[in-house]
Amino acid sequence: MPKSLYIDPEITLRPKEHEIKFPEIPVMQYKKTVKDELKEGNFTKEDLLRIYRDMFTIREFETMLNLVKTTGGYNGVEYNNPGPAHLSAGQEAAAVGMAYNLDTDDFIFGSHRSHGEILAKGLRSIEILPEKELEKIMNEFWGGATVNVAKKGFKGSTKELGVRFLIYGAIAEIFARTTGFNKGLGGSMHTFFTPFGIYPNNAIVGGSGSIAVGAALYKKVNCKKGIVVANLGDGAMARGPVLEGMTFASMDQFHTLWEGDMKGGLPVLINVMDNQYAMGGQTKGETMGYTFPARLGAGFNPEAWHAERVNGYDPLAVIDAFRRKKALLEKKEGPALLDVVTYRYSGHSPSDQSSYRTKEEIAAWEAEDCIIAFGKKLIEAGVATQKDLDAIQAKMKETIFEMYKLAIDPEVSPRMDLVKDNELLGDMMYSNGSVDSFGDAKPEVLMPLEENPRVKQIAGKSRFYLDAEGKPVSSMKMYNFRDGVFEAIVDRFYKDSSLVAYGEENREWGGAFAVYRGLTEALPYHRLFNSPIAEAAIIGTAIGYAMCGGRVIPEIMYCDFLGCCGDEIFNQLPKWQAMSGNILKMPVVVRVSVGSKYGAQHSQDWTSLCTHIPGLKVVFPVTPYDAKGLMNSALQGTDPVIFFESQRLYGIGEQFHEGGVPEGYYEIPLGEPDVKRAGKDVTFLTIGATLYRALKAADMLKEKYGLEAEVIDARTLVPFNYEKVIESVKKTGRIIIAGDASARGSFLNDLAANIADLCFDYLDAAPVVLGSRNWITPCHELEEAFFPQPEWFLDVINEKMVPLPGYVPTGNFTNAQQILRAKKGV
Amino acid sequence: MAQVVIMPKQGQSVESCIVSEFKKKVGDSVKVGDILFGYETDKATFEEESQVEGTVLAIFYKDGDEIPVLSNVMVIGQPGESFAEFAPSAASNDAGKGAAGGTEPSETHATFGTVRGGTVSAANGGVERSETVSEGSSPSAAAIPGAPASPRARKLAEEKGVNLDTVAGSGPGGRIIERDVLAAAVPLTGLAKAKMAEGGLVAGAGSGLAGTVKGGDLKTWKPNHTDIPGEGTEFETVKMSNMRKLIAKSMYNSLQNSAQLTHMLGADARKIQALRKKAKKALEEGKIDANITINDFVCFAVIKALQKFPNVNSHCLGDAMRLFKAVNLGCAVDTERGLMVPVIKGADALDIISLSKELKKAADACKKGSFNPDLLAAEAGSFTVSNLGGYGVEWFTPIINVPQSAILGVGTLVPRPKLNAEGQYEFVPYLGLSLTYDHRAIDGGEATRFLKQVATEIETLEVEF
Repeated sequence: MPKSLYIDPEITLRPKEHEIKFPEIPVMQYKKTVKDELKEGNFTKEDLLRIYRDMFTIREFETMLNLVKTTGGYNGVEYNNPGPAHLSAGQEAAAVGMAYNLDTDDFIFGSHRSHGEILAKGLRSIEILPEKELEKIMNEFWGGATVNVAKKGFKGSTKELGVRFLIYGAIAEIFARTTGFNKGLGGSMHTFFTPFGIYPNNAIVGGSGSIAVGAALYKKVNCKKGIVVANLGDGAMARGPVLEGMTFASMDQFHTLWEGDMKGGLPVLINVMDNQYAMGGQTKGETMGYTFPARLGAGFNPEAWHAERVNGYDPLAVIDAFRRKKALLEKKEGPALLDVVTYRYSGHSPSDQSSYRTKEEIAAWEAEDCIIAFGKKLIEAGVATQKDLDAIQAKMKETIFEMYKLAIDPEVSPRMDLVKDNELLGDMMYSNGSVDSFGDAKPEVLMPLEENPRVKQIAGKSRFYLDAEGKPVSSMKMYNFRDGVFEAIVDRFYKDSSLVAYGEENREWGGAFAVYRGLTEALPYHRLFNSPIAEAAIIGTAIGYAMCGGRVIPEIMYCDFLGCCGDEIFNQLPKWQAMSGNILKMPVVVRVSVGSKYGAQHSQDWTSLCTHIPGLKVVFPVTPYDAKGLMNSALQGTDPVIFFESQRLYGIGEQFHEGGVPEGYYEIPLGEPDVKRAGKDVTFLTIGATLYRALKAADMLKEKYGLEAEVIDARTLVPFNYEKVIESVKKTGRIIIAGDASARGSFLNDLAANIADLCFDYLDAAPVVLGSRNWITPCHELEEAFFPQPEWFLDVINEKMVPLPGYVPTGNFTNAQQILRAKKGV
Repeated sequence: MAQVVIMPKQGQSVESCIVSEFKKKVGDSVKVGDILFGYETDKATFEEESQVEGTVLAIFYKDGDEIPVLSNVMVIGQPGESFAEFAPSAASNDAGKGAAGGTEPSETHATFGTVRGGTVSAANGGVERSETVSEGSSPSAAAIPGAPASPRARKLAEEKGVNLDTVAGSGPGGRIIERDVLAAAVPLTGLAKAKMAEGGLVAGAGSGLAGTVKGGDLKTWKPNHTDIPGEGTEFETVKMSNMRKLIAKSMYNSLQNSAQLTHMLGADARKIQALRKKAKKALEEGKIDANITINDFVCFAVIKALQKFPNVNSHCLGDAMRLFKAVNLGCAVDTERGLMVPVIKGADALDIISLSKELKKAADACKKGSFNPDLLAAEAGSFTVSNLGGYGVEWFTPIINVPQSAILGVGTLVPRPKLNAEGQYEFVPYLGLSLTYDHRAIDGGEATRFLKQVATEIETLEVEF
């Protein structure tokens, strides 16, 4: 909501033009012949033969995999590949045409059906890379482990070795070997190789739709060379992440608000491999209504994304389109959309019997086969004889067969031994790095930090909740939780030039909860901006941004909106570090605000959902001191952190840390719970804002019943160090684990189960979980019945641990009631 | 001025002793060196000699009482002197853990909300968590056998020797919780605790000071076996003595928890026989003052061998080894009370005469039951020698005194044919050596080399006296 953009009622209500005009979207306009292209000097004969070679290589590669899946071997050498194989035979011209104009600075992202694309981009990279550089890449990759296998018995040129390396690395990855491009942890649907500009393929249809946009954002913000291509299927155009990613990439602000170098469109190209089918559904005529995927461009911006539909059965047509689109992106006129018509011969996967199409249809497309057709054109144009083409085929067949044999040989291509070394994969889940800055430039800021109005305001505040005389400080003068988060973030903005933050209102307003107040003055638009209301794009783009090497703080305004970016939070963000074989880092700190007061869709604590997913770190501080220290740690780290903040506590002062919140930089390591109050009769372990209600319960318990509660704040849920809790339970023998999440299926139960396990002999009563009711969150006026209250702690102590004399329970925590509620599903 | 006689502390692990018999009664006159009373631990018996001269003014216990160590036992002085101030009930004698002084254990009567943590600690006697008292009302009166108990309560009951069947639960649904066990854990004497820990016994009403449960108060011995017909007519069931049970436990434990096997080897005994002759002569001639036996020479040779094999002079802890710098030699002694293994600490520093004397002294003390109990523990020794030669046993398989790594059994002398230098067989006295070792600690090769070394030392022993 920038003030500079005036919404004029005159223009808005009484526009001059009374219809929306769409630009025309070209369809199949390429008409040139091979001879034309040769005449124009666009290709040499060698270029054309390499295009043929690359297409054939993909075909033979996919044929090999298909034979392995369907006949259990290739050229008579048996192998069983239990993993997936989504093959792209038929789409070779589209893949090779896509890659032809790209260099290694240009990144491609793919789908589950991307073997062809990675081979095409890899082969192209090998062709254009200087030999020395290619050698260096191969020798440094896994310390030479991959190239050493590809080199076995080979004495040819570096470029030829490069081809062997590419094919071997890809097969080894598909067959889950440690010499594969991602140590076998990615597999068929996720194979990639960043030194060739090949970024992750994605097994979630459309997953790359927002990630690639984030990669383009990284290139733009960090002034990096190259464009980004997202290769998606026609079916993916139905997916939210694609549509949200396209929305994000279409933002007006790139042109209206971003300044200087940063002004202009994102260098991203959505490349639709329009192979006609989405699983068994037919996109044209059945499951979609766009007729052509290219039409979608018209919905996003006045340029209709410069969309075009091109003939993906002619590699030269695709190359022509890419040449023009790339030039456009380099002029900052992106984004762009290509709809590349192609056809997949194979089913969705080898288990697909193609029952949804006729043999005639497949035969008709095979008659148009892009490789045969291109071969004929080359012969007609006098570029090659059939014998030349046969020789190319024979050579590539031989190479693939050789690489196949090496990749299935357990001696040279071993798998990870996770049975013998069963911590190996566990140790790959996080990178656990400590990095001051991911940027190599001077951080771009608009003013010295000390001149910032927010910084000045904070300087006048008391950093502890009591003043020197022990009297409570007024809320206006008290350093609060949002100040703690702000200090950590602004510090990092001045340290790390790569850091960007965005979300649904992050700028002028200072964020919905005023945490970012003051950042607007400090940062240019490209480092802090408002995103569309598109959570999938907010997180998806952050993933792409981090994958390419940048640090990012995306914000999800309410915890309840996590579902809107479920795939990104659960399937993408946590997975890529391990799935890449630790090649990628994921320095993403997702700020998530946990609400209350606003009813059932704005008041839920979903920390448990995040703890369930391996690969995420989950933090939930509730004091200013912890917020600043944990945010500093999260931002210094290299792992994805979901950083929860409670809306109940933004205004709260520091009540625990002696001397208040330090002015300087400090880190609190993730994973360490903190004893907020010592006691000896019962332990309260809390998650989130429940801490303050637990403290109130501890007061009541002490005052009325002489029992002293030890109150521990979990602070971090993943990782979590149980040692302090065990020590406490050894002392007290009793523990209540409390938080605001609905109790059923929550992380509270996980803690309780582990504590029961680890402290069994020390327990005087079973650990008790005190969560919210398994209801919708009622309106604010009724919340006391829903969220754990101080009295509930006493209730369960009396009911389940040690009867309190003369105690009158406020709620029903009897076993009978517990069983009854479970029976009712509440 | 009247002198008080206290119960001595015999060893680190001893908490109390039982007075077997008072040799003096009130009014008797006493000289220095007179035996005042005999007393025993579960491992040994002792006699307390008077350090002073005078008249017995007071005796605070009777025969058979278990007395916490360092407690006042009797007073000796001049007739007419005051002694009441020495009475244990008047003194705030809290030296004996588990036997707190004067005040009643009163936590069950503590009124809720009025008791602040700390003020009741003295009343609890041995209860570390006095604060738990403040938690609640009096536990309900009835103890229900088989009532549920929290894991923490179970653990504590085991530690405190409390039978949960006798405890009334005050937790939710009558569950026995920690505080109930604490309330039920009446103070026990050391002996009572040790007996309880072995199981089968429950505390009866404490007859000791402040309700302390003594060994004699323990009730209901539940035999550990199945009854068969014929009791009384065909056979008699006799409870094992405490010492017997201890031996049984440690021998069983040894065989259960280590990997032992025995190697046997003979040693030409002519050399030590000659030495024995020489020593006898030297004793008769008054050149030495010790009767050095064949066993002493064997022990001396063993010590020399151990110095060359530090791995054998060790404890095996399963995942670690204790390698001893000195040789702490255990020597099995058969006594009326049962097998005892006194340890000679630092035996490698002794010459043959001192070693002989120490071994004799230890054996005598064991037979009398007055050996320091701390030196009877298996942990005190680094290696043990057991000699059955005197009984004509040729070979045997001694059981390791765990955690020690090995034990050497010494058999009798047996004449065996041996080729002499002339190629003729002659009969030579051979000493049977049986080395049992823990294969977890030592491999067969090393064990054999060590045993051979013992034999070599025996065959080549040189001793000057």
